[in-house]
Amino acid sequence: MTLQDVDVAVIGSGPAGMAAAIKAKETGAQNVVLMERAEQLGGLLHQCVHNGFGLLYFGEDLTGPEYAHRFIEKVMDMKVRPLLETMVIGISRDHEITAVSGKNGYITFRPKSIVLAMGCRERSRGALNIPGTRPAGIFTAGTAQRFVNVEGFVPGKKIVVLGSGDIGMIMARRLTLEGAKVEAVVEILPYVGGLIRNEVQCVHDFDIPLLLEHTVIQIHGERRIEAVTVAKVDNNRNPIPDTEREIECDTLLLSVGLIPENELSSMAGVELDPVTGGPIVDEMRQTSVPGIFAGGNVVHVHDLVDNVSWESELAGASAAMFAMGTKWPETWKIALKSGRNIRYVVPHTISGERELTLYMRVGEVEEGVRLKIGGIASKALRVVKPSEMLKVELSTAQLKKLKRGTKEMVVDCEKRADK
Amino acid sequence: MSELKTEVLIIGGGILGAAVARELSKYKIDATLVEKEVDFGWGSTKANLCIVNQGGDALEFRKEYQRSKLVWESMPMMEPLCRELDVPFKRIGELTIIRNNDEMAKYRKLKTRAESVGITCHQFIDQETLRTMEPNVTKEAIGALYDPMIAIVDPVRLTMALAENAEQNGVNTMRETEVLDISPGIDEFEVQTNQGIIKSKFIVNAAGIFVDKIAALVNADDFVVFPIKGYVGVLDKKAGGLISHEIHTRPEVPGQMNIVTPSVYGNLFFGTTMQLSKRHDYSTTRETAEIALRTAQRVVPDISEKDIINSFTGYLMFRNWELGWHECVVSASGKVPRFINVCIGYPGVSAAPATAKKVSKLLNEEGLRLEENPDFNPHRKAIIDFSELSVEQKRALVTEDARYGHVVCRCETVTEGEVVDAIARGATTLDGVKFRTRAGMGRCQGGFCSPRVSRILARELDIPEEEVTKKGAGSRHLLYKSKRLLEEMA
Repeated sequence: MTLQDVDVAVIGSGPAGMAAAIKAKETGAQNVVLMERAEQLGGLLHQCVHNGFGLLYFGEDLTGPEYAHRFIEKVMDMKVRPLLETMVIGISRDHEITAVSGKNGYITFRPKSIVLAMGCRERSRGALNIPGTRPAGIFTAGTAQRFVNVEGFVPGKKIVVLGSGDIGMIMARRLTLEGAKVEAVVEILPYVGGLIRNEVQCVHDFDIPLLLEHTVIQIHGERRIEAVTVAKVDNNRNPIPDTEREIECDTLLLSVGLIPENELSSMAGVELDPVTGGPIVDEMRQTSVPGIFAGGNVVHVHDLVDNVSWESELAGASAAMFAMGTKWPETWKIALKSGRNIRYVVPHTISGERELTLYMRVGEVEEGVRLKIGGIASKALRVVKPSEMLKVELSTAQLKKLKRGTKEMVVDCEKRADK
Repeated sequence: MSELKTEVLIIGGGILGAAVARELSKYKIDATLVEKEVDFGWGSTKANLCIVNQGGDALEFRKEYQRSKLVWESMPMMEPLCRELDVPFKRIGELTIIRNNDEMAKYRKLKTRAESVGITCHQFIDQETLRTMEPNVTKEAIGALYDPMIAIVDPVRLTMALAENAEQNGVNTMRETEVLDISPGIDEFEVQTNQGIIKSKFIVNAAGIFVDKIAALVNADDFVVFPIKGYVGVLDKKAGGLISHEIHTRPEVPGQMNIVTPSVYGNLFFGTTMQLSKRHDYSTTRETAEIALRTAQRVVPDISEKDIINSFTGYLMFRNWELGWHECVVSASGKVPRFINVCIGYPGVSAAPATAKKVSKLLNEEGLRLEENPDFNPHRKAIIDFSELSVEQKRALVTEDARYGHVVCRCETVTEGEVVDAIARGATTLDGVKFRTRAGMGRCQGGFCSPRVSRILARELDIPEEEVTKKGAGSRHLLYKSKRLLEEMA
């Protein structure tokens, strides 16, 4: 196969890209390439040496590298063609991909369809605009994770973690196991940003102080970070005077949010959702540009890799169908709107003709609620949290209840009357 | 401790010291440039709005102000200099926003006065024209004063290029070399540094915010400078399209400049709230950050806090801060022979080319022979910027050298080839690579590239990776090799 015959090109070979490529092949696409900037397939899974992967997808508790290898083997079995050490630097609206590679030189080709699977990146200190000096020793949690688990270094021995995203909490445990002292995990909200299992297993089990409703208001140290000032915050997240205290540290890790990586999507003219930061997609995971699909964290940041894989399989299957010329009728398009206490819903539009899974996140923690999907489905939940993605499956039977011609469906998270 | 002899010692490798070094390299002079930081341009030069302006001087030009003259003489010199050194220069023009009739009247007067001394580049533009030129500017504006001469540069790259070119032409450059003491002798100075003694006939004191401290070492002059701290915010390139000119409003409070300007790389800068400060304090504060953002939004309302990717503190050196005006010092010391003080303070970058010429003239008056260097080569080639190449150039380069096919910084598309070249030209730190190539200056701020750049630095410099620093001594970024901490505990 030359690159000129590619049916489906998948950009990024993390959990999303591998699942999409495998599924594209299974669906019947002949020539599928999987483009990866690193030396091996798997993306960030390789630096996630902790467990908790695959509980839903495989019914097994795997580490990141183990989860990756299950898919890498399948990629090889299915004869998906990997293009390693290849960085995509441009995508056009008409599907032309430009990439550079030390091995393969400067590449341009035009696959029939594309799956965006670039994942996400971490918010940096600049994005937080934390005041203070600009010393060495400030890392995003994921960068520190790479240094510790892949490169073989420990950034420091007195650590403060700002933010309680999953990677931050996992790194708090990891660095403790490497002999460092984690002085505190500091979270501006009244609850942790990541999964409850990580709060328990990574923070509480290691007796790491968790400072909720606190934030770092100043960074100290000219050359290497020497301390941070933390303060309690009020309900508007503003520091409360006279609650400041200094914590000595030689390292600050930031785990303050992930942002879908969509520079390439924008180049291709793909329309983005300002709330998720990812492409606006339909239920087939097609973006606003025909023939360009997206799945996984590039669409919206997931908390479980299993869901990333599932969502991307959908994108991969759709991309294969598009490449093979299978058209799906676009007779009916219903926009899903976020209602009460709903931050976003993915996909953004549905046809109402196929069963599907809705992914959504709430804005605030709430107990005793009911998710209501435009009058055709509802689901009672004991508690909802912004850190935990919600899934609602819609069956064809439920979709049949939709009135023909419906243009919009609102998803609400309602307080249950009995609560 | 080693001992070094030189004819002219330039203290301070900021924009001014580097410009002087490069100017002197046009002559057969044994000159040495010393910088206390690990790289050139890392003091006030680094924390800069990057505008080649007229420092307000075009409108307030006074023949008796030396800095007026230096800035004005430098204006036509900057673009050819940037071309010779292959560094970016963009003439974007400046718009001073006029919000009411009082301001209008004031600018009319200033413009007329400027014209009377021959400065005729300014023109008034009405609201409608302003809207066409800058659709995102505040609706408060009833018009603007347009100065098409104003340009933007990258002061750190310019400084590094000046130092590099000076070195190519025979100047000895020393980094991480801090002057500790100076003893004036009968015909030469003995300068004590952390790297040993340097004996020099002449000294050029271009020590930036420490210029008065260096002068005080020889009791050269008793001038006092006030370090004035300013805040600069950096916006993501995606906000870069908001404006295309440098735009500012007249300060409502003295010392507050409300500037929004494009950078040569397509980001926007905004700043700066200025306050008197101690000179070591490069920290930003929440309060100034908030004021700077608010005032910037008064100029360009669509600026969003979400797009801030970085912020920093810079220093301006003001004399007579309390009187609200400033004059520079570029003169031979009245007390110590063969000692030249160079303190521009503001605007140092804009005044650098003419200042360098003036310094060589002053040195000549103090007895330095200026004999032309017939081998002087004014040209210096920049590190290849892969992202700026044409498709054909990219293709050819990647084929010729595979390292240009290895992208290490995804935000700014910087390749391994560029990083290796930066190291070959003197980068020894993560920030050194960043300022030469932009690896780490994008929206992820080094999250992706720092492990890669760190590894390349260790390989090219042949040092253990845990010795790699962010910005020189005391700033290692990885403190331990894996398991070393556990061993330490056991």
